[in-house]
Amino acid sequence: MRHACALRSVDDPLHVNYSDKNTNREDRLATVELTNISKCFGRTAVIDGLSMSLNPNEFMVFLGPSGCGKSTLLRMIAGLETVDSGEIRIGGRRVDHLPPGERGVAMVFQHYALYPHMTIRDNMAFGLRNVGVARDEIAARVAAAARSLEIEHLLERRPGQLSGGQRQRAAIARAIVKQPQVFLFDEPLSNLDASLRVRTRVELAGLHQRLGTTMIFVTHDQVEAMTLADRIVVLNDCRIEQVGTPMDIYLRPATSFVAGFVGSPRINLLPVRIEAAAEGLARATLPDGTLVQTAVPTAALPQGDTTVGLRAEHVRIASEGAAARGTARVVERLGERTLVHVELKGGAMLVAEDAGLSTVRAGDEVGLSIDGARAHLFDAAGRGHHAAG
Amino acid sequence: MTRPALSGRVAVALVVVGAVLMLVPLLWVLALSLKSNAELMADTHSVFNGRYTLQNYADLVGDGQVFRWIANSLIVSLGMTAGVLILSSLAGYGFARLEFPGRRLLFVIVLFGLAVPEQAVIIARHQLFSWAELHNTHGALILPGLSAPFGVFLMTQYFRAIPKEIDEAALLDNASRFTIFWKLLLPLTIPAQATLGIFTFLSAWNDYWWPLISATNKEMFTLTVGIASTQMNFAQTEGLGFLMAQAVFAGLPILIVYLLFQKYIVQAVAGAAGR
Ligand SMILES: Nc1ncnc2c1ncn2[C@@H]1O[C@H](COP(=O)(O)OP(=O)(O)OP(=O)(O)O)[C@@H](O)[C@H]1O
Ligand SMILES: [Mg+2]
Repeated sequence: MRHACALRSVDDPLHVNYSDKNTNREDRLATVELTNISKCFGRTAVIDGLSMSLNPNEFMVFLGPSGCGKSTLLRMIAGLETVDSGEIRIGGRRVDHLPPGERGVAMVFQHYALYPHMTIRDNMAFGLRNVGVARDEIAARVAAAARSLEIEHLLERRPGQLSGGQRQRAAIARAIVKQPQVFLFDEPLSNLDASLRVRTRVELAGLHQRLGTTMIFVTHDQVEAMTLADRIVVLNDCRIEQVGTPMDIYLRPATSFVAGFVGSPRINLLPVRIEAAAEGLARATLPDGTLVQTAVPTAALPQGDTTVGLRAEHVRIASEGAAARGTARVVERLGERTLVHVELKGGAMLVAEDAGLSTVRAGDEVGLSIDGARAHLFDAAGRGHHAAG
Repeated sequence: MTRPALSGRVAVALVVVGAVLMLVPLLWVLALSLKSNAELMADTHSVFNGRYTLQNYADLVGDGQVFRWIANSLIVSLGMTAGVLILSSLAGYGFARLEFPGRRLLFVIVLFGLAVPEQAVIIARHQLFSWAELHNTHGALILPGLSAPFGVFLMTQYFRAIPKEIDEAALLDNASRFTIFWKLLLPLTIPAQATLGIFTFLSAWNDYWWPLISATNKEMFTLTVGIASTQMNFAQTEGLGFLMAQAVFAGLPILIVYLLFQKYIVQAVAGAAGR
């Protein structure tokens, strides 16, 4: 019952109607600009000279492997971590020297960080009381946020009496009542079970549409990033690898790291030899000698070691007209499609895709047809080169 | 199947024996306190028959001296408990949450305090209090107890166990450092406060040695010292019932504390054993 109920609110966007006259919607459409941000812990640099800017109303996702500095970056925006150098502006106002409470941000923590001894109502009201919002105003905002997240019946309970999903909603509600200019989420879904995570993800997308507030969301889950983001910032090793829309990131990965991090199964990366072919497009020779005609112009491609990136959906099992041959080693049946791990002559492995009802079995000799026009090339520095356009 | 049941029964039997061993002297005291002094002087066997009387309690109330001692004990115990709770909470918060130079060293020094027995410092302490002319004041009885390394250690561990995310969420909620301490962290340490408070109160109430040394004026006796002072020697036969009534009276506050905080005491002991 509750399940159906929770889903309905997404299809039927409730407009959160705040009774607050002072903050209208425009005030909350804030840009976020980071200029040349650096941060060290002791002698290790965690963030090094990073700049980026967010448009108002944007849903930005920080994506990257564990330990790459996503949380640190988010916490610097929140003011929980100091900035060693650089500037942070929110809505044009410089905030990097302001205490967290004065930056106009609200944060949802990974472990919720609800105040255990307070009721959910008091949890939500706490921040408003601290800045002296009037009593009936608080009541109205709490009621509106509780209605929006369907936790009205939980308001008198304490966090310990809620399930993980309910705590998550309470934590989001606590952020909403503050009517911040920017919402910050630090892996808020990682403590939920798989089905709840998917549901909450959909609700978050709905919430963003309803509120129209700038949001920054940290995750190491590429599916969360792809589904939620207007734009994704891919971070690795204290640097930005790429900033772009989800499709940008997927279709035109700026580096081999991005290509390898985004997409499931992992993109095939194989060392290749390059030669110029017709119309100035590069032709790649795979380790087993197979020729792949790419659509990447040779002009921009530097000399030296080159890697080809081939997504599984562009390498298909084919009985005739096969460009390459190999032996199926592992067959993963996912239902709608089948992934076949193929060993090429010479030992290189390649993941190929086949129909859901594939008849391939481990040990079979298979042919592969490769869609070279969709191949990516990465130079020795890892930079990506793609088909023009 | 029968073995666990059997061992369970043996355990219960042992607990019952233990309880009886501990209860009999207490009941004996209670029974003696209800007999007239004259009767007890002849023979304590009369406890099991004959007349019972509340005369000893009436004398006690009439005497008044014991109330003075109880008041002293209450002032000292409550004062020490309040002081220890306040100081340990503040110090614990500081060690757990503030960054300052020398923090680790200071904490180690506090921990060393756990290893110093009272006997080792008592002469120096006596001289210090003599010099400061503090003897025979409540302050003299309270002050030494305020250096409570165990309390500081306990509260530090407790504050450390509270996730930092709570502080951070509160910072984003515009809470000041004091608000965070007072409204968020302190309420979360209530179980530890209760444990520490109870143990401090009980040990202050039962303390004998330092009050015996410091309080030489009868007016400043605590209950333990006072009752002991009315006792002549171990083979006392005179005024036995009255003495027992005093003992019962002395035990009452402890009983009340126990009944009120039973839950926390059991938790504290179970927690200490479990760790
Ligand atoms: N307070 C700190 N002191 C020292 N080093 C720190 C501190 N906080 C973070 N680091 C280091 O900074 C790096 C980035 O940490 P951060 O928490 O930002 O990673 P993350 O991308 O959020 O990872 P995860 O996905 O695991 O949460 C890590 O190498 C971490 O060890
Ligand atoms: Mg993190």
